[in-house]
Amino acid sequence: MAFRILSKCRMFQNIINTKIPKNLRSDGIHISTVHRDLMEFFDDKKNWAAESIKVGRSWNKDELRIKSNEDLHKLWFVLLKERNMLLTMEHECLAQFELFPNPERIDKVEESMNNLEAVVRERNKAYYDLEVGESAERPGELVTNMLGLNFFYRKFEHLIPKFLNKKWRKKHTFNVVNGNIEKFQKYYREKLHNANRKSKNRDTNHVMHLMKRFPNMDISAVQQQYPSVNIEKIKNYHKTRGHYVP
Amino acid sequence: MRLTNCLNDFKKIGELTKKYANLPDSYIKRSMERVVWKTPQNNPRYLPRVVKKKKYHFSTHRPWSIGFSADNNVNSVKPKVFVEPIKEWSFFKGDRVEILVGPDKGKQGIVGNVIQERNWVIVDGLNCEIEEVSHYKGHLSMIQMQEKPLLVTSEVSLVDPSDLQGCTVEWRYTEAGEKVRVSTRTGKIIPIPSLAQETYDYKTPKTYKESEKDTREEDLTEITFAPSLKTFEMDIMENMGIKEDRVAAPTYWY
Repeated sequence: MAFRILSKCRMFQNIINTKIPKNLRSDGIHISTVHRDLMEFFDDKKNWAAESIKVGRSWNKDELRIKSNEDLHKLWFVLLKERNMLLTMEHECLAQFELFPNPERIDKVEESMNNLEAVVRERNKAYYDLEVGESAERPGELVTNMLGLNFFYRKFEHLIPKFLNKKWRKKHTFNVVNGNIEKFQKYYREKLHNANRKSKNRDTNHVMHLMKRFPNMDISAVQQQYPSVNIEKIKNYHKTRGHYVP
Repeated sequence: MRLTNCLNDFKKIGELTKKYANLPDSYIKRSMERVVWKTPQNNPRYLPRVVKKKKYHFSTHRPWSIGFSADNNVNSVKPKVFVEPIKEWSFFKGDRVEILVGPDKGKQGIVGNVIQERNWVIVDGLNCEIEEVSHYKGHLSMIQMQEKPLLVTSEVSLVDPSDLQGCTVEWRYTEAGEKVRVSTRTGKIIPIPSLAQETYDYKTPKTYKESEKDTREEDLTEITFAPSLKTFEMDIMENMGIKEDRVAAPTYWY
């Protein structure tokens, strides 16, 4: 253990010893009360050689909904700093051939950040629905491309209108009646149909094997899990009969 | 057709397993998946493509553990496992169960582990087999008794607390609207043991010890939200004293 701590200390020695001259720091901006310079990218010194660092769960949406915008704004930066710290530590541990304790912390922070963003979007959506009458989200629409496939196009903000933007128009041709794609469409539909058929057959086969192995199975539970399978039809199949006297 | 290389076997992980893990789904996914092949990274000649193992084999090892990844080597193919579909799961950690098969038939024990992916429970100290733990040349090998999993559908039954005998159970609602397990023979409620709340981090949520990095409960439950007719950005700008009088030039969305 002592060896581990020593090696860890060596790992961060360079960073501790570097001193940033005072005039390089800006006194006007205060992001947080703690000033540890670049060391804020690293965890506390006592956690460096820790075997495991236990933390709770992530923030869920209901807990974030009762917080004011100001609190959410602050929390966002707390989470962002934590994520930066964790990613730095992970990278450093990998470089030093050490074990990064509790890697799920990264996922917990990211989940919290996603939830926080969702709550902020919710609030903005409420305002826009009430006051503006438009969606607060980035606009988009369902379009058909040159191959006749539908997809959701998320729009971009441009400085010039569409009819002036020749470059964009050249790149994006949507909803055009195209007579040359019939063959492609036929094969594409066949491919989809085959994938669907195969998955159905796979399920049916699987259920037949289940019925063979578990004769006293709850059929309604099977039907619930495999809705596409016609159980009445396969009941009398040879494959469903087990190796036992009925 | 867009081919999505998603992890379908993640759906097979039981709810109780996830509850016990107390880990985010994204972490469980990330730790269980095995990459078969991927294009060289940071190389402009290749598109970022990853091929992952599709079929995973579930056993007594938890999906995020090292044992699981040892079970699921990239090249190894395990035989297909057939798992009987069950409508509602009714076996929890800490339950008293009766064993219906094997040398310990008729004995009762406490469920120590639930493996929902395989319809298995492991009963503490019962249904054991002798296993060779270590074997080195020229040395005596070490053996130990290891509990073997039992199928919940046919090999164990829950014990009715009123007469301490095995029974079948049904999920019913009480008059208060609570969902409970009821013995079909006697109609007595079989309570869910407190051990079922146990996770990897704590025994019960109340006994969880806050660590230094955790948010304190007072800070968590404090209500600071006051509804106002502002967007998030407007509110923050107002609080920070940022005033924006400039009129933005028209932009076009397309």
